[in-house]
Amino acid sequence: GCGYFFLDDTDPDPGVDIFGQVYNQWKNKECVCPNCSRSIAASRFAPHLEKCLGMGRNSSRIANRRIASSNNMNKSESDQEDNDDINDNDWSYGSEKKGSGNPNSPRRSKSLKHKNGKRPGGGYSSSSGISYETLGPEELRSVLTTQCGVISEHTKKMCTRSLRCPQHTDEQRRSVRVYLLGPSASLPEAEGSVENEGFDVSESQAIMSRLQWDGSSDISPSDSASSKASKNWGTNNSESRKTKKKKPHLSLVGGTPVLSSSKKKKPKPPAPPTPSIYDDIN
Amino acid sequence: MEDRLPRLAFSLLDLNSLSFSLSLSLPPSPPFCFAAIDLLYGGIYCFVCQDYIYDKDMEQIAKEEQRKAWKLQAFTPTVVSHYQCTMTGIGEKYSTWEPTKRELELLRHNPKRRKITTNCTIGLRGLINLGNTCFMNCIVQALTHTPLLRDFFLSDRHKCEMQSPSSCLVCEMSTLFQEFYSGHRSPHIPYRLLHLVWTHARHLAGYEQQDAHEFLIAALDVLHRHCKGDDNGKKANNPNHCNCIIDQIFTGGLQSDVTCQVCHGVSTTIDPFWDISLDLPGSSTPFWPLSPGSDGSVVNGESHVSGTTTLTDCLRRFTRPEHLGSSAKIKCSGCHRYQESTKQLTMKKLPIVACFHLKRFEHSAKLRRKITTYVSFPLELDMTPFMASSKESRMNGQYQQPTDSLNNDNKYSLFAVVNHQGTLESGHYTSFIRQHKDQWFKCDDAIITKASIKDVLDSEGYLLFYHKQFLEYE
Repeated sequence: GCGYFFLDDTDPDPGVDIFGQVYNQWKNKECVCPNCSRSIAASRFAPHLEKCLGMGRNSSRIANRRIASSNNMNKSESDQEDNDDINDNDWSYGSEKKGSGNPNSPRRSKSLKHKNGKRPGGGYSSSSGISYETLGPEELRSVLTTQCGVISEHTKKMCTRSLRCPQHTDEQRRSVRVYLLGPSASLPEAEGSVENEGFDVSESQAIMSRLQWDGSSDISPSDSASSKASKNWGTNNSESRKTKKKKPHLSLVGGTPVLSSSKKKKPKPPAPPTPSIYDDIN
Repeated sequence: MEDRLPRLAFSLLDLNSLSFSLSLSLPPSPPFCFAAIDLLYGGIYCFVCQDYIYDKDMEQIAKEEQRKAWKLQAFTPTVVSHYQCTMTGIGEKYSTWEPTKRELELLRHNPKRRKITTNCTIGLRGLINLGNTCFMNCIVQALTHTPLLRDFFLSDRHKCEMQSPSSCLVCEMSTLFQEFYSGHRSPHIPYRLLHLVWTHARHLAGYEQQDAHEFLIAALDVLHRHCKGDDNGKKANNPNHCNCIIDQIFTGGLQSDVTCQVCHGVSTTIDPFWDISLDLPGSSTPFWPLSPGSDGSVVNGESHVSGTTTLTDCLRRFTRPEHLGSSAKIKCSGCHRYQESTKQLTMKKLPIVACFHLKRFEHSAKLRRKITTYVSFPLELDMTPFMASSKESRMNGQYQQPTDSLNNDNKYSLFAVVNHQGTLESGHYTSFIRQHKDQWFKCDDAIITKASIKDVLDSEGYLLFYHKQFLEYE
């Protein structure tokens, strides 16, 4: 040892980092997108970039849907995707946003809601959401059995996401129903179907192909011979060296700070046994 | 004096025209010429004085020309080690730094100096989460605290090979180091890094939670390609012949020996690796339970609380001979038939930085879950028992030496740990990194806090980064 030293924070203050700065004060950081040169909030840069570069599984969906619905009167479906950013501002209205992280479920169900969401025809404007003022009581009731319905303070429109949309709480959904349908209105049971949470087959195929490594067939360190080798250990394996086919990477995903006590947490339905990236191809 | 002269090559100096002519034999005696320069050291020999003379101006010229000459040879960056101090024949000749006039001017105009003390926070900086990018932030923290990488980039050794530097990930890495050592206290926003990684590793592109290990491998791959100016991965890069900084630091060699059970012929292959992925107990693959000290030695000073799996246990399992059953026969080139065999992996060559990846996921057909088994890992690790050379000595009947404290070749020190909390589908990454000698810090996106060694060693551990303690010349 060469003596001792004093640190500034010998009594660590739970809310302060090594520089003596308070946690979570960096909400307003911005950066300039290298692709479109727009100024973007730093904590939302990744989702922006995904769309900006036309990458990710949702971008082609948006493009395809636009093409498909260009002849369709119901334009709000495609607009819905684009207006996610705007809708996300609803977070700031009385919601319990923690840290600089993101809403708890990054796997938005937006891409799949069209499978089971029935849209009431007509009666609402082409911008996102439904204007509750234009709907009669029967239509309102119908809408509220399949959609979230929480009225955005920002746009004054009803949220058209699913009944379990992560952006709004059950509390909010209950109060909007009481407001629109009277005190006896109840929240319909969340659907038992699991489509919203899982992948469909075509998505997982897309992901699996994305996970295949680009690159030559020569073994490079990125093939991680060790991980291939250890994966092949076991009783019924053929020789591991023969298989040049690259396996999908088995992984632990992580991205957001864990939200410890989130009111929005609902019991997750069991994950469907779709072919997924975690399965062993062989 | 007379004895020395014949061995040196002399260049004969015609002082009138300042032209040189080369003589490889004994310098002719005067009056053919008055002076000569020896080509190895640039000394000037005067035939009149019959001695080497010192001339200030000539010394200056010689020094300058020498510096230029060495720079030309420094095309391939070499590992900067603490011990590199004399000419090694390649790379840069060590020379003391002398400020230029411009630098002296700058120093005079900027008298403020930064003093590095033990409680200094230089080199530490938070990283903003760009939207599910904590997996990337952890790897950035580990890389920016890899001592050799830090030395390489801060001594400005990267020379960009890419068509456009704005698409070079190595240049961006260099900028990152500048940012970390800038002294700024506000967290850095790694948006350009994300953009570059997404454009060069398309399989990672997409706004979603991802795996830190996968990101590490992809990042190393892109860095390695960009070191050679390979923009699109099309150039056939034989990783065994690459000498970029990434390969110098991270690439090891994994030896795989397959032994035929009939003729005992051994077929050996060596593959490069950047990480070692280790199976854990608690998964469906059978784990070999090792009782503490079963081979009579205490390895790596790990306390074997009964039941606790150690990193050494995992490495022992990784390098044990495995009998490939009758359903997995290998064609033996000696027997010319399919035979049962055993396979064994050992380390042929250890990288300077060894990354261990604990496979914390269950991957059987029906069950997908995270394995949270605690695995204890040491601050100091000796890799000797797992080397191919150790296996050879064991096989040759040589007595397995207890860990030789004088042999420092295979000793490693922990310097970064990446942890995951959550489930397979969703979670959050944080990391611990080591700064200075024994100070540890926890990096949670934008929040950097002091951590104790106990905090680090008690953590679950997903990626463990070890650095070789002693570096040598190749």
